[in-house]
Amino acid sequence: MQDPLSSTFAALADPTRRAILSRLALGETSVTELAEPFRMSMPAVSKHLKVLERAGLIARGREAQWRPCRLEAGPLREAAGWIEEYRRFWEQSLDRLDDYLRRIQSARTKSKTNGSGKKPSNTKSKE
Amino acid sequence: MADSAKAANQATGFVFARTFAAPREDVWNAFTQPEHLKHWWGTPGSSVEIARHELKPGGLFHYRMQFPDGRSMWARFVFREIAAPERLVWLNGFSDEQGGLTRNPWVPGFPLETLNTVTFAEQDGKTLITVTVIPFDASDEETRIFAGGINGMKMGFGATFKLLADYLAQRS
Repeated sequence: MQDPLSSTFAALADPTRRAILSRLALGETSVTELAEPFRMSMPAVSKHLKVLERAGLIARGREAQWRPCRLEAGPLREAAGWIEEYRRFWEQSLDRLDDYLRRIQSARTKSKTNGSGKKPSNTKSKE
Repeated sequence: MADSAKAANQATGFVFARTFAAPREDVWNAFTQPEHLKHWWGTPGSSVEIARHELKPGGLFHYRMQFPDGRSMWARFVFREIAAPERLVWLNGFSDEQGGLTRNPWVPGFPLETLNTVTFAEQDGKTLITVTVIPFDASDEETRIFAGGINGMKMGFGATFKLLADYLAQRS
């Protein structure tokens, strides 16, 4: 048994399944319509839909004729939230690093201008 | 791991770059010296408490991250390559208080460790860093789970799908 996030990510590993989710983000649709852009057989598409359904990412309607597929909010939100947090960890760390390096630079510039002038006396500092 | 799976890893790694307005030496020190790391590693408001930091191949950087909401967690680096000031490579993982490797608490199916490579390049007094994260010694299933997360991120899944999911949740 896999934990929910792991099975969500395993389902997302396949490019066709990611494309299906992107299509469903536009609204619910029939399996036939979903299959069209992928040039895949219906059984092949159904197989992908089953994986997505098992991962709780989509749900299928009960109507006999066209069983519309739609996105499910729960696991999708969990997965999206985790992905955001992972990306944010790096991004925000590097934002902080950027600030920190700027502080170091400006402290150094200050001590240089205050301290012993190594520069030749005829070149005036722009500051 | 099969070669094809290895190739897939390369293709699905988490890669990004960033330029800092600072000399390379400073950026390198910020990544490798504990007194600097404390000032920036982690999301805003979090703090880092360092239990161990040995900058040498095979050396351990073991730390606890304390979040503003009171949560805390232990994590570790195991350094693999230290080529000052150009290239730093480490294995990244979660850990227990003793420094033993633990699974990702949110995604237990994630690879236990990832191989993180940072290169530092100097350009006109600025420094370009490139970070690459790939699974390390992972099973095919762990690699798939990693790839799903990373590719989800690449397609903007995090930001756009979160909005969508919030919207869907409101309606139901």
